[in-house]
Amino acid sequence: MGILTDLATPITMGILLGGLYVVIALGLSLVFGVVREMNVAHGDWVILGSYLTYAMMTGIGIDPILSLVIGIPVLFGLGFVIQKYVLNKAFKISIDATLIVCFGISLIIQNFAQIMWSPLSRGLTTPYALHSFDIGLVHIPLVYLLDFVIALAVMFVLRAFLKRTYLGKAITAASQDRGAAHLMGINTFQVYAFAFAIAMAMAAVAGVFLGLTFPFTPTSGMSFLIIALGVVVLGGLGSILGTFIGGMAFGLAQTLGGHFFGVTAQMLVAYVMVLIVLAVIPRGIFGR
Amino acid sequence: MAVRRNMKFSLPRMQRGLTRWIIVLVVLALFPVIGIPHSWLLYIFLFFIYLAMANMWNLLAGYSGLIMLCPAAFIGLGGYTMTILTWPPFNMPVFVGVIAGGIVAALFAALISIPVFRLRGIYFAIGTLVVPEILRVIFLLWRPVGGALHGGGAGYMVKGVTGITMTEVYWFALVIGFISIFLMRYILRSKLGLGLAAIRDNDVSASSTGINIFNVKLTAFAIAAFVMGIAGCIFYIFQGYIEPSSAYGIRWLLTCLLATVIGGEGIEEGPILGTIVVVFLHFFLARYAGISLLIQGVILIIIMLFLPQGILGAIRGIRGPGLLSRLRLASRSSNPGTNEATED
Repeated sequence: MGILTDLATPITMGILLGGLYVVIALGLSLVFGVVREMNVAHGDWVILGSYLTYAMMTGIGIDPILSLVIGIPVLFGLGFVIQKYVLNKAFKISIDATLIVCFGISLIIQNFAQIMWSPLSRGLTTPYALHSFDIGLVHIPLVYLLDFVIALAVMFVLRAFLKRTYLGKAITAASQDRGAAHLMGINTFQVYAFAFAIAMAMAAVAGVFLGLTFPFTPTSGMSFLIIALGVVVLGGLGSILGTFIGGMAFGLAQTLGGHFFGVTAQMLVAYVMVLIVLAVIPRGIFGR
Repeated sequence: MAVRRNMKFSLPRMQRGLTRWIIVLVVLALFPVIGIPHSWLLYIFLFFIYLAMANMWNLLAGYSGLIMLCPAAFIGLGGYTMTILTWPPFNMPVFVGVIAGGIVAALFAALISIPVFRLRGIYFAIGTLVVPEILRVIFLLWRPVGGALHGGGAGYMVKGVTGITMTEVYWFALVIGFISIFLMRYILRSKLGLGLAAIRDNDVSASSTGINIFNVKLTAFAIAAFVMGIAGCIFYIFQGYIEPSSAYGIRWLLTCLLATVIGGEGIEEGPILGTIVVVFLHFFLARYAGISLLIQGVILIIIMLFLPQGILGAIRGIRGPGLLSRLRLASRSSNPGTNEATED
């Protein structure tokens, strides 16, 4: 019984933290599933979202969550332009050209963040970011709960978008069979640009909640990219439910890893889990 | 598609080229003796260190279709092995450490091949991307030899480097650089090279012709890791200290990528040209250290978009197997929409 009460807090926190990973991974999964490009810059886009929020918060004093009104359109537009004019061009060359171009973009974002906001660690510290409450034996910080709630919100919005709208159906069609979608009159390269832009909008959302949950530096993107990759692979490409479960699994791996092996080793547990998932079930639980 | 046009197999032709390279090697080896300026020695030193790494990356990415994103794992592990062995309780000479560094890197390659070789194409790239991050966290936490540590992280000074002159380090670099050149020449003209090309082009048909895919890939992977590990050791002898954030950082991958992509991936001489550009950039961008990553990122993207076969590829107009053409061809044959996208 003692072990259970000990574990109650890390398990709850892990599940809630998983929400953050779900939001990061959904954007990665959308680009990976639709455009078939490995956006190794995704983590850096998320961190860029955190920094933009940080700039707005410290510069004009906008609340981080409200700043999404500006942050989402900015990253959406940037994503659209980059996919349309850079990545679509690389896509026509080869799949690993997109990988290398994304790597170049990752370097550019990291260096840009370093120039603009220095390499020091930053955080979005708001009054509610430090708030926490207790339910029975479980101690929950408010931002972890927000991570989970926003994950559910993003999932349902994405699902509704993909099922109900023309663009959403076009994105689904292009991800299932690019050639057939093309023959049905879908401008696939335009669809790719929209898919990437939507992924970037989700990166903006993820960036805000990441900044509220963890401190970040210009190079933090890599660790979140790796966890998001693990989530996407574990959940199976193109499955929203799978991504959700994958996010929970990695949130739990991190908090339980921290509980058993100390805070410094918690990332190690998550990284090793990525390798194991890749080696054992590369197609994921809900993979097609 | 099957065999590259310019691939030469006859032994006499290989030996003729060999003499030329040996003359170059002897001339370069004499440079410190005849009193070449120190800065030139430094340029050539870095050139051969980077060349060894880029050649091995080219062997894997350009000739074997293994987009390997973990050169830092082998380089850092090699460097760390050497550094740790120079400390008590081991107290080994630096030279023993260098060989041990290469061996440990190769063994590590064999170890991670078990999970990552199950993956293909882009998944292989993801799998290898994780590896240096794992090592970085481990080496930030783990203090293999106690006591005399420097800095807050697990940084170490390389012990016993005070007795080693720049000339000796230069010769080491020369040796590993030329070993990588000769290895490339030999491997690409051997059965191993043919096996690698066959796997890159179509692994199912390669397997059906009796090639043991796992063994062939593992051999190339281990050889590359060994050379990268040794090149890393020599670099860290020169640098004098090692710490996890830079040893397992993104910089090594960037160096390998830039050198290979600029020169031409899947072209034997590509990394030689690319590494010259990289060394030039290295010293040119030292003045603009704050934006050097940004500039290198921009260069990488521009080269990739406008000269996808690299400078040498553009000059030769090579259309054959370039960047993992297997994937490209596969996506083309399954998706008729890509047909309009010819790159030449």
